[in-house]
Amino acid sequence: MELSASITTAAKYLAAGFAMGIGSIAAAYGEGQVASHAIDGMARQPEMEDSLLRTMVIGQAITESTGIYSLIVAIMLLMVV
Amino acid sequence: MLEHLGEKLVLRIGGSDVLGLDIVTLIMSWIVMAIVIAFAWWLRQGLKQDVEAKPSSRLVIIESLINLLEDQFSGAFESERLQAQLFSFISTLFIFIVVSNWIAIVPGLSSPTQDFNIPLSFALLVFMVSHYYGMKLNGTGSYLKSFAEPYAFMLPMNLISEIAKPISHSFRLFGNVFGGAVLISVLTAKLIPILLPAFFQAFYGLFIGAIQAFVFALLAVSYINVAVEE
Repeated sequence: MELSASITTAAKYLAAGFAMGIGSIAAAYGEGQVASHAIDGMARQPEMEDSLLRTMVIGQAITESTGIYSLIVAIMLLMVV
Repeated sequence: MLEHLGEKLVLRIGGSDVLGLDIVTLIMSWIVMAIVIAFAWWLRQGLKQDVEAKPSSRLVIIESLINLLEDQFSGAFESERLQAQLFSFISTLFIFIVVSNWIAIVPGLSSPTQDFNIPLSFALLVFMVSHYYGMKLNGTGSYLKSFAEPYAFMLPMNLISEIAKPISHSFRLFGNVFGGAVLISVLTAKLIPILLPAFFQAFYGLFIGAIQAFVFALLAVSYINVAVEE
């Protein structure tokens, strides 16, 4: 009984760590892509900078939601399960 | 300190499991409301001046705040008419969320947006406003019919995408604010209790707080735009 409880705890911590670590890769890569292409556009057309910046921030916020979901899953694993 | 992380002080109404008041969130959102109302009232006093007189400093503050908000949000609305109707709503959302994110930098106070109920209620409010304006500007029948387009079998997918909007909208704000708060409290309790947390507070509280409030308001505008365009 005690062994199974400690295995469950270990699995919980491992799962939370993996959820956060693997889950954030895609979000970070996506945000980097958005920023790099926005900078390309700004360098090509500096007069578009304001609208590009706004679109970039929205795009990054939407891309980030997958990372936020993995954060929620990790927090739920740690605190709720 | 850390063993109480994530715990909530909830006042159960009549001993039920469903109805309850989260006291900390309630008091913190009252404090935020009091700050916003007091600041607005203080600025309002600056308008009581002679038209000929030199503009007072409060008048300049009002004008620069309104200009700042208009610069940020004016290009985002679909039409001038929509902007005239909804600019004050979006600005109010932005101001309330920015003040509630920034209040966490005061030691001992926690941000109300750190409780999932507050972002969820804002997201549901935006959801209802967007559908209301979609029905009002397109006519109820043609708006409801637009969910079955381009083909009738797309209806379930369109409905799911509508339901996913408030969920992702609210989790985005909550996750950012709560993640920052957890990181700062872990850092303070386990690692370095002096000096370094202040920089993290400045980054997560001020910078991320302002960006997320801005993103929340802009996404609200774009959800309303999508509903109105249909």
